[in-house]
Amino acid sequence: MNATRRAFLGATAALPFLHVPARAQARPGYLRYGLSAFPPNLLPWESTGASAGTVKTLIGRSLVGYDKTGTLAGEIASSWGLDPDGAWVFKLRQDVVFHNGEKLTAEDVRWTIDQIAGERSTAYMRSQFQTLARVETPDPYTVRLVTKERLATLPSWFANYNMSIAWHKSDPKAPVGCGPFRLVGQERGTSVILEASPNYFKPGLPKLKGITFIAYPDENLRNAALRSGDLDMIEYVPWQAMAAVEADPRLRLDEVQGAAFMDVLFNGTRPPFNDARVRRAVAHAVKREDIVQAAFFGRGRPLEGVPIIPGTPYYDEQLAHGWNYDPARARALLADAGYARGFSTKILATAQFGMHKDTAEIVQQYLAAIGIQGELMLPDWSTRVSLGTRGQYDIAIHGVAADNNDPDGLTVVMDTSLAPTHGRSFGLKTPRTTEAFARGRAEFDQSRRIEIYKDLQRAALEEVPLVGLAWRSQGFGMDRGVTGFTNMPGALSTSSGSQLEVTAFG
Amino acid sequence: MSFLVRRILASLLLVWIVASIVFLAIHLVPGDPAELLLSAGGAAPDPVTVAELRDRLGLNLPLRTQYGHFLGGLLHGDLGTSLVDDYPVLDEIALRLPRTLELIVAATIIALAVALPTGTWAALHKGSAFDRIAAATAGLVLAVPVFVVGTLMVLALAQTLHLMPAGGYVPLAKAPGQHLLLLAMPAIAIAGGLSAVLFRMTRAAVLDVAGRDFVRTAWAKGLSPARVQIRHVLRNALSPVLTVLGLHMGALLGGTVLVEYVFNWPGLSTPLLAAVDARDYPMVVGIVLVTSTLFLVINLVMDLLYAVLDPRIGVS
Repeated sequence: MNATRRAFLGATAALPFLHVPARAQARPGYLRYGLSAFPPNLLPWESTGASAGTVKTLIGRSLVGYDKTGTLAGEIASSWGLDPDGAWVFKLRQDVVFHNGEKLTAEDVRWTIDQIAGERSTAYMRSQFQTLARVETPDPYTVRLVTKERLATLPSWFANYNMSIAWHKSDPKAPVGCGPFRLVGQERGTSVILEASPNYFKPGLPKLKGITFIAYPDENLRNAALRSGDLDMIEYVPWQAMAAVEADPRLRLDEVQGAAFMDVLFNGTRPPFNDARVRRAVAHAVKREDIVQAAFFGRGRPLEGVPIIPGTPYYDEQLAHGWNYDPARARALLADAGYARGFSTKILATAQFGMHKDTAEIVQQYLAAIGIQGELMLPDWSTRVSLGTRGQYDIAIHGVAADNNDPDGLTVVMDTSLAPTHGRSFGLKTPRTTEAFARGRAEFDQSRRIEIYKDLQRAALEEVPLVGLAWRSQGFGMDRGVTGFTNMPGALSTSSGSQLEVTAFG
Repeated sequence: MSFLVRRILASLLLVWIVASIVFLAIHLVPGDPAELLLSAGGAAPDPVTVAELRDRLGLNLPLRTQYGHFLGGLLHGDLGTSLVDDYPVLDEIALRLPRTLELIVAATIIALAVALPTGTWAALHKGSAFDRIAAATAGLVLAVPVFVVGTLMVLALAQTLHLMPAGGYVPLAKAPGQHLLLLAMPAIAIAGGLSAVLFRMTRAAVLDVAGRDFVRTAWAKGLSPARVQIRHVLRNALSPVLTVLGLHMGALLGGTVLVEYVFNWPGLSTPLLAAVDARDYPMVVGIVLVTSTLFLVINLVMDLLYAVLDPRIGVS
């Protein structure tokens, strides 16, 4: 065929109508999943991020987990409850087998707890498990946990993705799990390959033959890889791309609200933010809708109170707007605190994540409107963490998810009596809030817990351990051929990886 | 002492200075590797747990002790292990470096294949429409940052037209066709800027050489145009082109960061960025050390190549 200019122009014009999906690597029954970050490691008990958690929750399983509605459900444990002496008793399934073929018994649960609570442990749940008085194993399939104080929330500890049960003769650096998939290969920084475990204890699961996790740290490329057909599924669909994924007839977006939220933290060791009136002034100064639009492209909701997940029994519509946008009230609170003419301050955030920077810029503008002149500090994330933990800031912008949808899951971000970290206000004293958290943990009656957490919201609205700014949604994008996956509600969205055991093609 | 030995010794000294500066600099930057590791995903780790991990990773040792350990390991060819997952730094570099080099070599081949003929043709037809269009195109390509080129390629060829994969990597041995397909876009993205620079250099050098006396003599002797232009003009014009190429190839060792990121090409730049973010000191120092060494080696090789191209230039 002779190449002519007309033929060339014609071929060029036809290019947009060509569709040659680049799916050379697709294998039947194997899911190609785009991770937002490569897991720093796959040690089961260390907190190394939600992406690592997705992989870890498939290799290992715990006593309990969450079902797709966010309700605690049995995994290794067939039942659990309090005995007459107030200890938590877990009855274990007798058909659970580790990937090496060994049967799971109560001894494995005890060994796992010992590893987590050990003196040299670096486990995420270490401090919680160190509060246990003792672990008893009256028979091979019963575990009895005796707590030092009444503890209503103990079962939820085991539902955390950093809590899988490992074989008691494992090398602690490479524990053997009993999850629906087993690790068959990984390339550091690039990919992790899982194969279905042949001896998983849930009949008929997992439905997939395997999963190839490929790390795509660039959110735009991750999205492009989904849309071009290189991947079957991705986590953290960029907010700006959600509408396009929804509009693509080949794809499906599974989005939940309230997966995480943005907030303002304070340094309470010095004026002016050691004064709750000033913190309340900040809370009333910011119009949250602008953050939702600018930082999250409308994929979120204003957060004008304590970050209690809407739809849970602890949510109260009136209390949820206790920090509504009211600049006049903000100025009055400042004047009452002796700052009628405003003051200058430093706002710590990071330029590394757009949502942090955008939120910080909007907060800066609204604070200026009530007389607080904020100078932005936007270092890289690593420096931001370091400065935050050491209290080297006045106010800080942060983004975080609670541990779970129970208000007790907010302890880690709101209980200022805990040791300092970058994710909590520094040196602040909020005794009523702290006391309410303790009461909530010790209360077993649901209706009384609801009242306690409403008290907590009232206390926090006055003491201001943080200022909620905006809920942000979280979405998984997937090919329409991928079925069975559910993005779990609220803060449990980051635990949705467990749903990959029921995910299938077709 | 010969020139070559002195160059090598000087290069080793430079490598040690670079490694020491990077070692000290990265330790002085704020950020605690233990806290960052346990804070992944926004978690708020218990400070006691962080302290335990710091102790385990040896971060509580005095800086001079850590530096001593680093130098001791270096003398034994050991760059240490990652603070994140205890993975040997050398193994990581051995895995990633060939991919970065492959990307650079592929980009260089494409750039040379484009720049040498077009640069020569433009010079030999100075003022022609081709010359003007080529010069304008080179200016345009140089003006557009490589990450913009990369992002537009992904948007057009992968996301919109579905003609190419969006990015990623497959080993050559596993799927040669897919490997080359995945290599194409990042290599072309890098080659764009490089070919523009080499085009300009080639054009200028050819113009310079074409006017020399020995070229006029060659024409007067009745040699064929191809022989004059290739053997006499182009060969003599290549020295400055090689100099520029050498400098740019060295720079590309550290300059592929954005391209590797945009195309998810798992070369050396990606773990370097991740290591800086995580304050993974051994990984940062190890990668910078190897990159610096390669930069110096490339410069040394370029010096030796001059001698091959132009016998009047001795190594001494």
